[in-house]
Amino acid sequence: MADLQDQLNAPTEAGELDRPASFAAHPAPPSPAPPSTPSTVPSATDSESAAARDLLALHPVADGYCGLPGTLRTLPYYDLELGESSVEADLPRLRAGGTGALLWAVDVSADRPVTSALEQIDLVNHVVARYPEGLRLARSASETADARAHGRIAVLIGPAPGAAVGDSLGTLRALHGLGLRALTLSGTSWAPETGLTPFGEEVVREMNRLGMLVDLTGASEATATRALAVSKAPTMLTRSGARALNGHPDNLSDELLAALGASKGLCLVPCSAARTGPALRDVADHIDHVHRVAGPESVGLSGMYDTGDAHPEGLTSVTDYPALVAELLDRGWSEADLALLTWGNVQRVLRGAEFTARATRYRRGPATTA
Amino acid sequence: MSGVPDSLEQARAILAEFPVVDGHNDLPWALREQVTYDIDARDIAADQSAHLHTDLARLRAGGVGAQFWSVYVRTDLTGDAAVSATLEQIDCVDQLVARYAGDLRAATTAAGMEAARAEGRIASLKGAEGGHSINNSLATLRALYALGVRYMTLTHNDNIAWADSATDEPGVGGLSAFGREVVREMNREGMLVDLSHVAATTMRAALDVSTAPVIFSHSSSRAVCDHPRNIPDDVLERLPANGGVAMATFVPKFVLQAAVDWTAAADENLRSHGFHHLDTSPEAMKLHRAFEEARPRPVATASTVADHLDHMREVAGIDHIGIGGDYDGTAFTPDGLDDVSGYPNLIAELVDRGWSRDDVAKLTWHNAVRVLGDAEAVARDIQGSRGPSNATLAQLDG
Repeated sequence: MADLQDQLNAPTEAGELDRPASFAAHPAPPSPAPPSTPSTVPSATDSESAAARDLLALHPVADGYCGLPGTLRTLPYYDLELGESSVEADLPRLRAGGTGALLWAVDVSADRPVTSALEQIDLVNHVVARYPEGLRLARSASETADARAHGRIAVLIGPAPGAAVGDSLGTLRALHGLGLRALTLSGTSWAPETGLTPFGEEVVREMNRLGMLVDLTGASEATATRALAVSKAPTMLTRSGARALNGHPDNLSDELLAALGASKGLCLVPCSAARTGPALRDVADHIDHVHRVAGPESVGLSGMYDTGDAHPEGLTSVTDYPALVAELLDRGWSEADLALLTWGNVQRVLRGAEFTARATRYRRGPATTA
Repeated sequence: MSGVPDSLEQARAILAEFPVVDGHNDLPWALREQVTYDIDARDIAADQSAHLHTDLARLRAGGVGAQFWSVYVRTDLTGDAAVSATLEQIDCVDQLVARYAGDLRAATTAAGMEAARAEGRIASLKGAEGGHSINNSLATLRALYALGVRYMTLTHNDNIAWADSATDEPGVGGLSAFGREVVREMNREGMLVDLSHVAATTMRAALDVSTAPVIFSHSSSRAVCDHPRNIPDDVLERLPANGGVAMATFVPKFVLQAAVDWTAAADENLRSHGFHHLDTSPEAMKLHRAFEEARPRPVATASTVADHLDHMREVAGIDHIGIGGDYDGTAFTPDGLDDVSGYPNLIAELVDRGWSRDDVAKLTWHNAVRVLGDAEAVARDIQGSRGPSNATLAQLDG
């Protein structure tokens, strides 16, 4: 029995499967660059590229928005382990790019958001179960770190659009029970342009009580400001750049970025041509800007791979994260700030939500369903 | 004081060891309707006999050791609304179990039921009542399973797209192709197929497909009282081969012929005043009372239910019967079985009729626990060879 279990779960074997040596749990000697090394990034020298890979080996990317569940729903057959040309974030590429954790976005249909959210969560569970050497479902910061310690990529479920809760706190709790860990407020009747309705505020408080991350992507200035005030846990934006650099409606004004930084929230800058710009250096500009305005503890990464969005040149797949890190190294980023950007800040926000939940549950029971 | 204990004492003694597994209790829906899930307002640790059939003291007095709490939602809720309401009902049960942890223990397996009995808590399981709760989505069925639901009644009072109800016109003629796939997927998950409320054609179709034991969470015998909610003998006869269990219900309007007739008239009275015939609002109940004054309601007793159990035992066998009271899901209850404290009166009646201690133990505890355990074993077996199904209604039923 013990032998069987060892064979199934031995981390060492997973390490063998995790081909690139530079992503072993312990820093390996600098490895030769994998074939996908971007030669198209002029500012990154070979030594910077190696430094970027070493850094990612220690502090992998926690990617705040991956659209894989929505893409996989449409595919009759796929193999994420061998490599799947129909998707942008299969396992070989995730490993090569230094991804350590992913938020898998829940894609819902407008006519049956609750049912389709359950279907997406079901799909995530089965996909993760199919690739036990590559993926591991995580419901908390600790499980995320644990997955990484076992050489697996942690998969967190979320964000889901707010419509998925069907205007029901009982449904919100059920989705949390099924593993959902982030919810986007915008697009609902209770998070309109003008702010949060009383029920919307109750949703935020209940998310705090449960430990579900509040995603303010797409929220109006008024709604985001109100949510920042109501939420006792750090909030985040899973796919927003800086409005000062790009006028996309989901991008954040400097005022909101500053307020987000003051509340220790998190802005995950997307690798999206529409939101951040056509080239890798545009994404780096947004990261620099958010870093400057919101602070080093409030900036992170969001690939937006498999969402159908066009990606900037030089960041066309998850294998290009090392090039982005190399660019930031070139711009003088410290290793400490880069570690926060790739991994640390997402861990902190997850832990913050869990801490708030534990503190809140002590004094507050489940809110009655309205 | 000496000699042979009377039958009620014997009943209590047996129940102390082999408590009742009840197949169906609608407390969650009553809490939703009465107080919008404000469980502070219906604290079941206190006496709730003014409002509910169910509270903890009466469950204890009734010798209840396991309860399938129904996460029923009305059939006028469809699509996402039915799913969301079902999730709210599940959430309600979870809240009750968390709040009354000294008396209730969440159970999702036969082993969990035994563990609850061993530590003197009431095993709390969940059953969904009607396929409308899954919105034609097998992934949603799996989500309900993941949230602890361990049976699903295939229909409630109305037909759904893939299964016929006992109290509706013939639709697909039992189960459609998708309906059969639902049954197979329930087998794969380990969720019991509940055939209460469904048409006899659906019962037979489900028994044809299911490789796991089925249950009737709250249905009695049609030979004893001819009501479509009851089970025909030819279906009861199939239970030994299937391994399932039929849990007799107490609802007077299903078990007593005079009550069947009276209810038909009373329902017509409610409908003529613009109410749904299942409405239990104060206004509807007032109308009901007025009707009752004019025409006395026939009263069922523990003996009425025992008649059903005697017949079901004869046809299906002692290993294939159980109890499903439907408390808090019905306006009226039999005399002596007025609320969840009444089970000992039923057992006493059976003891008087010559049921042995072992017979009663099978009826109250063993059969229901065995069925859940067998469904788990079938699921493990199927999961070794078959992955989850994502078939859709459109694919299978065109």
